[in-house]
Amino acid sequence: MSERKRVLIVDDDPDFAAGIRAILDTQYDTAMVHNPKDGWEALQKDHYDLLCLDIMMGRGAEGVMMARKIRKDKALREMPVLIITGLREQIAFLFPGQAVHPGFVPVDELVEKPVEPDLLLQKAAALIAASEARHEG
Amino acid sequence: MTERRRRILLIDDEEVVLDSCLAILEDSGHDVAVASSGAEGLGRALTWSPDLVFIDLKMPGMSGMEVLAELRSLDPTVVSIVFTGFATIAAAVEAMQVGAFDFLPKPFTPDEFRAMIRRGLQQRDMVVERAALRREREALRENFAAIVSHELRSPLAAVQQNLYVTTRELAGVVSEDQLQRLERMSTRIADLLALVNRWLRGFSIDIAPLAESFIPVLISVPVANAVESAQTEAVRKAVEIVTEVDPAAGVLGDGGALTEALLNVIGNAVKYSREGGRVLVSATRRDGKVVVSVADTGVGIPAADLPRIFDPFYRGQAGESHIAGAGIGLALTRRIVEAHGGSIVATSDPGRGSQFVIELPAHRAPAAGLEGPPPQQVSKGEAG
Repeated sequence: MSERKRVLIVDDDPDFAAGIRAILDTQYDTAMVHNPKDGWEALQKDHYDLLCLDIMMGRGAEGVMMARKIRKDKALREMPVLIITGLREQIAFLFPGQAVHPGFVPVDELVEKPVEPDLLLQKAAALIAASEARHEG
Repeated sequence: MTERRRRILLIDDEEVVLDSCLAILEDSGHDVAVASSGAEGLGRALTWSPDLVFIDLKMPGMSGMEVLAELRSLDPTVVSIVFTGFATIAAAVEAMQVGAFDFLPKPFTPDEFRAMIRRGLQQRDMVVERAALRREREALRENFAAIVSHELRSPLAAVQQNLYVTTRELAGVVSEDQLQRLERMSTRIADLLALVNRWLRGFSIDIAPLAESFIPVLISVPVANAVESAQTEAVRKAVEIVTEVDPAAGVLGDGGALTEALLNVIGNAVKYSREGGRVLVSATRRDGKVVVSVADTGVGIPAADLPRIFDPFYRGQAGESHIAGAGIGLALTRRIVEAHGGSIVATSDPGRGSQFVIELPAHRAPAAGLEGPPPQQVSKGEAG
């Protein structure tokens, strides 16, 4: 437990990402990239304990594509993802006919932008703890 | 579009007129149909959708003027031209006032007839194009709102996110005054974000599919949620919100959307109340309906504004102009209410208050089957 956990932030708005990073920096080692391609490369190179992913990047939902790719990848499948989205309802467009919270997979959580610092830290900690518990169990 | 054959309908009780017109139009490249009475012509217009209609004003039975009026209400983009005899020039002028594009006095030469058809078809193209442009403008206005909202939302979220961090980091470093200023900035940004969210919800979200996921909802739940959300502003203005809700009144619907719909109306009631005013929110059952009424003792709505308050982007002209708003809320409320199979009407006594009445079909399910809406926040995000 002495080692700080590592969090990767993928968001195409550098200012927003910086605001997220400053909060997470207080407790984690963070890295930040601004497009899904760099995000994917970062995940291949290093291990991260949590991914904070903006799903509405680029022209549409490039972040969603990235989330799906991660779920198909053997090495990354179990990594918890904190989905950060502009507006909760946007999810409804991407996943028509499903609940507003799609619950991509049980290891995912969703928050709306902007996110209160305490809420962000709480969600991040919970996701990482749950992921560790799964691995130990 | 340019190569399309055009459809011309001729309505005249005189066979000789129809025959000669048909002869003139034989090689025109247009499709021509004839009718020898107003009723027959109107029936033909209904099924055949002509571009251009010639109507004789003087016919037995249904008069040309009646046919003209019916045609106008059927499809205002159809161009009508009236045939007139010498004695009916005055009537021709009247017909043009009713909406005829032009008149052609009898007798006319083939060239006069062809020239009139050319002009009529040009007019038809213009009218159709104008209608298309109008539709396009409407669509653009809606998309524009959605695009602008998106573009506004991202920077606002970025500013807010950094304000959160900065405020947190500076707590204990800066003075209490400075901290309060930061917090006020954050509050204002939050208000702006909530406004943009309402825009986005109003324009980029198709409300109709909501109906597929309707569940029994006790009306008391969205009423309570909406009142709670409006309470901050009410407390600030010392406005008292009183609720009288039939605890068993239920509808089939979407709790979140109903909350949003009610919040817009209750929020308005608070907004347009004077300091120390009172807003009464009641929900009752009546004739198979759940009737929600929101009445205030505020400034009221001028009669001139009343018919248009549910139009998107409409801001009252005559009311108190210093009050902020986007003109979205009531339009959105109406869309939500209508998606629930309900209706909303407003009445007002300017200077003394307004009343909004929403009627929704009541849901007659056993009380045990009624549940509150899913825990969905309206204005503030929280991971579910």
